[in-house]
Parts: sequence; structure tokens; C-alpha cells
Amino acid sequence: MPKEIHDLIAIGAGPASLSAAVYSTREDIDTILYEKGVIGGLAAITDVIDNYPGFSKGISGLELADDLKNHAERFGAQIRLGEVMSIVPDEGLLKLNTTDGEIFARAVLLATGCDYKKLGIKGEAEYLSRGVHYCATCDGAFYRDKHIVVVGGGNSATQEALFLTKFATKIDMIVRGDKLRASEILIDEVTKNPKIKIHYNVTPNEIVGDGQKVIKVAATNTVTNKPIDYVTDGVFVFIGLKPNTEFLKDGPVELNEIGQIITDDDLKTNVKGVFAAGDVRQHATMQIASAVGEGAKAALEIREYLNELARV
Amino acid sequence: MVKNITIFTTNTCAYCKMVKQFLNTKGFSYDEINLDDQPEKQQEAFALSGQLTVPITLVTKADDTKQVIVGYNLAQLAPAIA
Repeated sequence: MPKEIHDLIAIGAGPASLSAAVYSTREDIDTILYEKGVIGGLAAITDVIDNYPGFSKGISGLELADDLKNHAERFGAQIRLGEVMSIVPDEGLLKLNTTDGEIFARAVLLATGCDYKKLGIKGEAEYLSRGVHYCATCDGAFYRDKHIVVVGGGNSATQEALFLTKFATKIDMIVRGDKLRASEILIDEVTKNPKIKIHYNVTPNEIVGDGQKVIKVAATNTVTNKPIDYVTDGVFVFIGLKPNTEFLKDGPVELNEIGQIITDDDLKTNVKGVFAAGDVRQHATMQIASAVGEGAKAALEIREYLNELARV
Repeated sequence: MVKNITIFTTNTCAYCKMVKQFLNTKGFSYDEINLDDQPEKQQEAFALSGQLTVPITLVTKADDTKQVIVGYNLAQLAPAIA
């Protein structure tokens, strides 16, 4: 059976990858994207994106993801719903082991983005989706007129806490440090919202349930060193991001100590023909605008790389 | 052989959209229960899955056996409609 070979396979279909696909397909580069999760990545599960230039009134994450997808597909990008398990150089090509079988590419773009970190405390796994959640836009509707705890103090936590006020009557926001680490506009909104109470210097120790559902978060005030309980119907966790690079751990692509992909200024990894862009890359700013820019740059670098390959 | 498929969704749920897209690409039709429009159906979704989340996909086979898939889980969804 002949090998299935493509010019470019992008892994992930978030803003970086979809932006790259707009550019690559316009250059007539045969482009396939693999996405094992949500098209649009974390952007798609964000309620409102208020800092992406060009949308002066903000745009819903789902809508932006749709527009990015439609834009990439308009020029011929093909998005496959499946997973890439490994990448290895193979006789001048890159061999990808995927849920569709072995596929080969002349160039690969790693743009798998990030996922939310887990707390790693007792009760978190036990009550997953029965009171412990990582997606407010998915699961918030189950908390109409309920009491919620939001864990985290960054942009995601503040943004999602504000979204959850559409449903919940009261939100206790548990912040590990002594201040929020979000943009000023979000801090202003969240501190003024009468439904949200922010608790600083608090570390959650356990999510406690009754066997069926969550009933409280047991925590410690790290200043007074005293235990404190937050009675709640559900817990939403937004404590930071981890790069989606598990599938690269045993492969040839170099990662840093926290699993981000190392690239040079031209977005090239240490493996010939493999590029990286967006939130998964070392030094990423974790902003959609940056990811889109990096995607475009990666596509142009890949075009140069493919042209060089063709000249050899 | 699939007899029918019902998906519990919400308006803002990106994973719900992925389930619908996957079923569309495979040529399956489905009924959708949007919990933003029909919040009274939340208990039904919870009774099926035991979880407070969407999407919940209920696949009923020709022999009336049922399979419930929680979330956008291709490893479970693909064989359920095979």
C-alpha cells in the first residue's frame, strides 16, 4: 500500500494551527490538521475573548474558534478528528503514528496548546464532573441558583468566575497568593461583582463530598495557618496551564523542564522539519493574538523549508 | 446498528459542538436537548450519566440497548456508533 504523504501535518487545531493553515493553504501547501479535543482549543471553551484585536465588542470563544476553522477550511485545510501518538524521522520524511494509522509529512507543526492543571488533592478525581469541573462554559449551567467555589486567581479564574455569575447565587474565589494575577480590567470587574467573594492566602487541601456530590472545600489560610471550610455545591478549578506534550515525552523533540517545546527564533525545533507555535512553545505569552501570529510565522518558515527540500 | 441518538448540550459548550460535528461527519442524525433552553431536563441528563456535565450522548441500538457517553470521548463514541 502506498504511503500517505502530506506537505504539512499540524498537530492541534487551536488558533496557532488554524492561523498557520490559512497561510500554508494559500501557498498551496497540502495541509492536514489533527485535533483530538476541541477545534479552537482552550479559546473555544472561553466564554468571552475581549483582548483579540479587531473585535472591539469582544467575541465568544466558540464563535472565534468557528471563524478561524472556517477561514482555514476555505483555502483547503483538512481537519481530522483524531490523535497523533508519536513522530519520528523516517527516510527524509516524518512518520506520524495516528488513530488513522501511519501517515507521513514533509513538515510538522506542533501546536497542541495547553490544558488546565489539576489541583492534585484528595476528592478531586473522585468527584470529577460530580462537583469538580474545569470547563465553566460546559458545566456552569448545572449550577443555577447554587453556590460555587472557584479555585485560582489568574485571567482564566477571574474570567470564568464572572461567567459563572450567570448561574450561581454566590461564588467563593479561593486564591493561593495575596493578590489576583489577572489583567486590571478583569480584577476590576471581579472585585466589584456582588456575587463574588475573594479569599486570599488560601490553599485548598481536600474536596469533600457525601459520596454522591461535593459538599465543601477544606482549606487552610496560609497567613493564620488555620483550617477553613467553604460549603459549596461545586468547584471550578483554573490554576494555570500545562503543555500538551505527553505524546512527545519519549520522542526526539526537545522539551524544557516543564514540558514546553524548545524552538529557535524561527520556530524550528531540534528535529529537522518539525516546527512549534502557540502556547505549547517555550516563552509563549499564552495569548490568542500571539498564537495566531506565531502560526502565521511558522507557516512562512515551513514554506521556506519545503522550498529548500524541493531544491535538493 | 444505531436506532437513534440523543445529545444533551448547552449553548456555550464547545465539546457538545465537537460531538455533533463528529456525528455529522459520520452521517448520523441526532436529537438535541439543549439544557439552556430546557433546564428542566437537567435531572434527566444527570440520571443517565451520574454527572453534572455536557455533552451527554445517549446511543440507542436497534435491539434497544443503550450506551451513555460522557463528554467528547472519541474512544467511546466511535465504537458506540460503529
